[in-house]
Amino acid sequence: MELTRRDLLKGAAALGAAATVPLTAGGPAHAQTTQKKELVIGQGGDIAFFDPHMSTSSNDIRVSFNLFDNLTSRHPDGKLYPGLATEWKLSGQTTWTFKLRQGVKYHNGDPFSSADAKFSIERTYDPAAKTRVATVFTTIDRIEAPDPATLVVHTKKPDPLLPARLAFYAGQIVPKKYVEAVGPDTFNRKPVGTGPVRFVSWTKDDRLVLEANPDYWGGRIDVDRVIVRAIPETAPRIAGLLKGELDVITQLPPDQGEKVNANASTKVSGALYAGLYVLAVNSKVQPLTNPLVKQALSLAIDREAIVKELWRGRGIVPSQPIAKGDNHFEASLPPLAYNPAEARERLKKAGYKGEEVVIETTVGYTANDKPMSEAIQAMWKDVGINAKVEVMEYSVRAQKMRDKSFKGLWWSDPTSTLGDPDGMMWRLLGPGGPQDYWRHAEWDELGNAARFSVDEKFRADAYRKMTKIFLEHFPWVPVIQPYEDYGLQKYVEWTPNPNQQFEIRRFNFKMRRA
Amino acid sequence: MRGFLPFLGHRLFRAFIALWLVSTVVFVVMRLSGDPVPLLLPPDAPRSEIFRVRTELGLDRPLPVQYGVFLANLARGDFGRSIHYREPAFNVVRGYLAATIELGLTAFVLAALVAVPIGLFSAMRRNTLVDHAAMGVALVGQSAPTFFLGILFILLLSLKADLFPTSGRGDWRHLVLPALTLGAFTMASIARLTRSAVLEVLGADYIRTARAKGVSELWVVAKHTLKNAAIPIVTITGLQFGTLLGGAVVTETVFAWPGIGRLAIQSIYNRDYPVVQCTVFLAALMFIVINFCVDLIYGFLDPRIRSG
Repeated sequence: MELTRRDLLKGAAALGAAATVPLTAGGPAHAQTTQKKELVIGQGGDIAFFDPHMSTSSNDIRVSFNLFDNLTSRHPDGKLYPGLATEWKLSGQTTWTFKLRQGVKYHNGDPFSSADAKFSIERTYDPAAKTRVATVFTTIDRIEAPDPATLVVHTKKPDPLLPARLAFYAGQIVPKKYVEAVGPDTFNRKPVGTGPVRFVSWTKDDRLVLEANPDYWGGRIDVDRVIVRAIPETAPRIAGLLKGELDVITQLPPDQGEKVNANASTKVSGALYAGLYVLAVNSKVQPLTNPLVKQALSLAIDREAIVKELWRGRGIVPSQPIAKGDNHFEASLPPLAYNPAEARERLKKAGYKGEEVVIETTVGYTANDKPMSEAIQAMWKDVGINAKVEVMEYSVRAQKMRDKSFKGLWWSDPTSTLGDPDGMMWRLLGPGGPQDYWRHAEWDELGNAARFSVDEKFRADAYRKMTKIFLEHFPWVPVIQPYEDYGLQKYVEWTPNPNQQFEIRRFNFKMRRA
Repeated sequence: MRGFLPFLGHRLFRAFIALWLVSTVVFVVMRLSGDPVPLLLPPDAPRSEIFRVRTELGLDRPLPVQYGVFLANLARGDFGRSIHYREPAFNVVRGYLAATIELGLTAFVLAALVAVPIGLFSAMRRNTLVDHAAMGVALVGQSAPTFFLGILFILLLSLKADLFPTSGRGDWRHLVLPALTLGAFTMASIARLTRSAVLEVLGADYIRTARAKGVSELWVVAKHTLKNAAIPIVTITGLQFGTLLGGAVVTETVFAWPGIGRLAIQSIYNRDYPVVQCTVFLAALMFIVINFCVDLIYGFLDPRIRSG
């Protein structure tokens, strides 16, 4: 399936704010062009792994999603498109058959076939391969490759989201022959994939050099080389963009957007994050065991003010635990209310006696986490909540995640990995999940039923009911669905993906030429 | 140099003890900071997976056993395997060492070349406008945080004046701003100390005598003043090398310079024990070697130290 940029923009327009919203500097933007055949990207941290099955860190997958392809591909419009698989269908409840693209070659010239796909997916959960994505394909029972162009995947129970799982991390297809011949260490040092760019060289913490794959099945990209530089500090990263040394920068903080837009040759491009920024709640500690208290916490937050002041308008107020843009998002629900009088009322009803409510925050694990914590602390104090903010370091946060030892609330940025509530609230809040601090029998039953049903109507109904229960109990207090902003030179036409899947391909990337 | 061998032996022994202490402190502190495994795995990784990785990395063994293994390996020059990069820690650090030495030496030489003449000149022109201006700038250099200076240089000299690239490592132009930033504190310290050391010497009797003898002013400064003022200058210069290594952490981060300072910070965040241990060990070793050289230079500058 060939997609033009026009089709893509149409799709984006239909999705409204969920898709790309470029900010314009005001006044007619002068068409700016370039003859550059090199794209230089500045990101906040360096790459640790090229082997796509060894990392889920955003700095790594930003590169591995371009060196490799998946069977399915989630485009910036949030929909699934063909990748290395051209079509797929479900027979019965548990058998998925994928037709694979023919004539695709790896960067080293080896042909791609169903044996590679089988090997790649099995590798993710093979204990001997020691990958770091072993939990992604747990629904798979066994895989068959009856002929080079066909892959059959049997799941243990019905799994409606298998094609979606294959589009994200762990789903990158690696070359069986090459990996087996050179071993995992060499493969990681000299990665070979089918993607639009191939590996040339890497100087740690300095620069990665990639070159266009001339035979790419999706069409050769519009530049000869792609350079990825690691620039940890925001100020030099922005200076590099403004000066023209960098063409694209990632992680542009909301308060820097105006500076980038004010500059004649640069612009901001953002996508509404496929996920939410929430205060996750340890509902096992007093007074957060009481749903009324949690309702009061939510009612006391002036989210409009947070979006306007701390995010310069680069975000929207959530209405539910499902991200806007996802399957089963309920458009009719109003944004979460701000009503301090009602918050006081519910605290009174709950018999709240001034017990301490702690927000544990890092400085910058999620953008604006500390400023938002301080703002919310003040809002909560206004309605009589004894709120306290404690600052912790990243690794302490990771430790607390593992031990499930948060004192009250903490910032989390649940990503919707599958474009569906199953890959977001159920993945994180479900029984045994990483944020399992609250249980509700009916909610659990619905979540479980929705996971294993291939009937989308049934699933929609289940998620509607789950949302209702959620909004009484608030296992998360959703705060904002922000934009993920990038800084670009005006001659770069690139559509970012809401789920941070950074892809440079013909369908979403072009350099404007004179 | 009769006492040289015992002197050397004594210094080597002290260096050995210092390195052992540094390694042990880093070993303990890193392990106090927590477990690296949750940082390696996705947040939804099950416990069994965490235990598997812990065993794989040898982190399930008792701490004294881990320490024993660490010391035994260290004695063979083996720093262990990086937890994050999955290759020998020394190979990881080695890749960054050249960048830091390049930056550190440039900053050091730049600092010394600029600071000593300025300090000397200030002392000779004491209480003039030149003196006040030079010492004012030095005060700024000494008190401005490295982070602030770095960003200031980027905004003024790179973005506005378009003289140098904003960040990264490449040709000599990439080196200028980070070296200036890193060297600023050292430069200021050396300049101020040179000034006071020279002033002290200029008031000494032998200078008055030399001048009275009719020795040319140039000779007074070059031979009598500088050589006698050199001991405190060399001392501070040697000590400043440690400051440079510390400052490299910030400077390398601001300028995206791929050196060991930046590696150390990232490895601390990643709790990559072997890489942090190796980095700190090598930094300590460099500091010890430099100070050893300083001690040797003392001997040449002032025979009293040699015999005493």
